[in-house]
Amino acid sequence: MEGASCCPAPGVFGSFDEETWATIAARNLTLAEDIGADIMTECNGCFGSLFECNHMLKESEEKKAEINANLAEIGREYKGTINVKHFAQILRDDVGFEKLASLIEKPLDLNVAVHYGCHFLKPTATIGIEDNAENPSILDDLVEITGAKSIDYKDKMMCCGAGGGLRSRDLDVTTSFTKEKLDHMTEAGVDAIVNVCPFCHLQFDQGQIEVNERYGTDFALPVFHLAQLYGLAMGLSAEELTFDAQRIDATPAIKKALGE
Amino acid sequence: MIIRGVFSMTIINRLKSLFKGDNEETDINNDVSNTSDDVQVTSSQIESEPVVAEEEPVVEVEEATVEESEDSSEDLASDDIEPIEEKVEALKEEIHEKVEAKKEEIQEKVETIKEEIHEKVEAELDAEEADEDSKNNDKERDKMTLLTDKELLTDANRDPDFTAEFIDSGIETVKHCFQCGTCSGSCPSGRRTPYKVRQIVRKCLLGLKEEVITDDALWMCTTCYTCQERCLRSVKIVEIIKKARNIAAHAGYMAKPHKMTGVFVMNTGHGVPINDATKALRAKIGLPEIPPTTHAYPEALEEVQKICKITGFDELIGYDEATGGLKE
Repeated sequence: MEGASCCPAPGVFGSFDEETWATIAARNLTLAEDIGADIMTECNGCFGSLFECNHMLKESEEKKAEINANLAEIGREYKGTINVKHFAQILRDDVGFEKLASLIEKPLDLNVAVHYGCHFLKPTATIGIEDNAENPSILDDLVEITGAKSIDYKDKMMCCGAGGGLRSRDLDVTTSFTKEKLDHMTEAGVDAIVNVCPFCHLQFDQGQIEVNERYGTDFALPVFHLAQLYGLAMGLSAEELTFDAQRIDATPAIKKALGE
Repeated sequence: MIIRGVFSMTIINRLKSLFKGDNEETDINNDVSNTSDDVQVTSSQIESEPVVAEEEPVVEVEEATVEESEDSSEDLASDDIEPIEEKVEALKEEIHEKVEAKKEEIQEKVETIKEEIHEKVEAELDAEEADEDSKNNDKERDKMTLLTDKELLTDANRDPDFTAEFIDSGIETVKHCFQCGTCSGSCPSGRRTPYKVRQIVRKCLLGLKEEVITDDALWMCTTCYTCQERCLRSVKIVEIIKKARNIAAHAGYMAKPHKMTGVFVMNTGHGVPINDATKALRAKIGLPEIPPTTHAYPEALEEVQKICKITGFDELIGYDEATGGLKE
């Protein structure tokens, strides 16, 4: 989407000034309206900002008028003609399990801890992705199509700790969230973590190093975005999937997954 | 000690009736009376039972001594008057000395006891203070109530405009909260920080603006929505927290790292701008180094920057256009 900007980050911008948050998000929505396409995000945070703003402006004429007054000054207008969808939502609802299964070239032998993140299914009152936010299945179902197994673990739906502007403001608190999640994932005996949000991804990868530094632990759970897991199962290499750019070495997990 | 004074006078009277007229009686009497008065005054200053009790044995000893001198006086009476008068004088002096010595002794004891009492009273006061402190600490720990004996909230503490801001921005559900605490019980942040979401919702409804916006804990929410999903009254809790943060930010309560995220967006259009490592990674997997976002389109960046000026976001975070950083 040419000319797109930061969504902007819901936890930070949404916490400072709702009007700025909504105007920048609405500008991004108008870019999609211009090309007549829905927006797909591979990030819970972007999904949260763009979906919520789109929903708010579609629901409230008053808010729409207020934001359009701002957009008019840069020659833009929000119309409310497109939808915002999450990557995993599109895989399940638009592509479908059957089609996905037919694309798998290398069924993966891997036990994974699925991390949903917070701004994917919630708040359920507005998001409308069909599932149960307290006990969901969409990601577990998508993971198992690749051959990998989703292992249940304690407090599975808990936040990674990075959101709401907490990571930039108070890393110690954020890290303590992540430590709790890593403890529970490790107890369940998984080989890797699967998520659908680059910010959660960052928090489990970079944040895992920070947990180990702060708590003297030796966690080494590689982190897979759902797209990377599918890429691996569809025959892409670790390099093509940029696993070499991550902090936690994914090589052992990838070897196990591919039966090497 | 009063007993002792009276007793001293009895000795003198008996000696006097044996050997002398009434002339000298007055002097001696006065002398001894004064002594006893002195002692009495000193003792009354203490007003302490143990002092009297300790003095009782002394009285017994004194009695024994006096009985001895009584016997000797009778013996002397049968001999010569002149030496007896001398002896009486000597005895009087001796008695006087003894009385003086006793006075000093008593005063010393009184001083010691006064010190002891003072120390005990101080110790008791310290203990009481310590007890009071620990009670206060208990109150500090108990954050479940908004009201403590110390701070009674009245209408004067409330800012109705603060509450109105939530209602006016569409969060009418703030009024629906019945303080069940499901939110706090579900909150992953509340398990590890002083963030108490139930209490913040209550404070927002009561209009306790200053308490809400000055509290660092307000920023400990990760906006995970667990509270809101579980709320029995469908209160838009995360919306309340974000609104309270908006009000706090506009009142100047904004952390520098948060302002810096704003600075990045104003400078590049991205909260997390591209860096050399990401450019190299993109090139390695066959993507253009620079993504087709505000990074690639200056006119798009200008739109974002203009929005931030229209809404006053630049002023809010203290953005310095000249340096591309913060003014402070």
